[in-house]
Amino acid sequence: MTPKPPQGHFNVLYFATAGSYTSKNVEALPAPLPLKKLFSTLEERYEGIRASVLDHSLVTINLTYVDVDDAEEVVIQEGDEVAIIPPVSSG
Amino acid sequence: MATPTSEPQDDSSLSQEGCYVALTNSPLTIQSVTDRVRSPQAGAIVIFAGTTRDTFEHKPVAQLSYTAYTPLALQTMLTIATTLHSEHSLHGIAMVHRLGAVPVGEESIVIAVSAAHRQAAWRAGEAALEACKARVEVWKREEFGDGEGVWRANRDGVRGERVG
Repeated sequence: MTPKPPQGHFNVLYFATAGSYTSKNVEALPAPLPLKKLFSTLEERYEGIRASVLDHSLVTINLTYVDVDDAEEVVIQEGDEVAIIPPVSSG
Repeated sequence: MATPTSEPQDDSSLSQEGCYVALTNSPLTIQSVTDRVRSPQAGAIVIFAGTTRDTFEHKPVAQLSYTAYTPLALQTMLTIATTLHSEHSLHGIAMVHRLGAVPVGEESIVIAVSAAHRQAAWRAGEAALEACKARVEVWKREEFGDGEGVWRANRDGVRGERVG
């Protein structure tokens, strides 16, 4: 299972195309981080990920979907589990 | 591509009042999913088995594998199950999705629904599958014979994104 993030960090999980783009399934990033800065933070680390992956993906924090376009108040906290959810393909 | 971290080590499941949902790395058995919804009050059991196809747009698929955000996928599956259970007055609903590599021709998902009468069971069975395909946090990767692979997306249904 996913390791706990180090102190002062949160985990971000990368599924499907997000995992392929970053070559990672999970990484710890410094917390706190305003949600509205999440995509730009990831774009700095993985140039082009925004257009290729993030713009088509949804985001969860601790298993609850959040709206990244209406995120003025939301701050990702230490220990949170954030996930990038690309379009699903079950069945 | 590293090994996904969120695959269950063993079977993962959630259940509540006539609803059962699970993710498993093991082959699916239609009989065991069906038995979860069997009831003396049921006049019908509708079973759906989704199996893995060997081609996509005439391109041969060598291998398919599924990965999941397990805790969220189970939560979403249970929400779908409980909603349909009450909407269609079901006796039982069970949905199991397989993860990891699934050989071509085997079941990747099995859904069983029981109700007093067949109409409700047919409708709920179809609705359950469509809701799963639209919402459950499971992803399919198709690998072609030439070493190329794609993550499929149900919502476009036309092409996946190339991952090299």
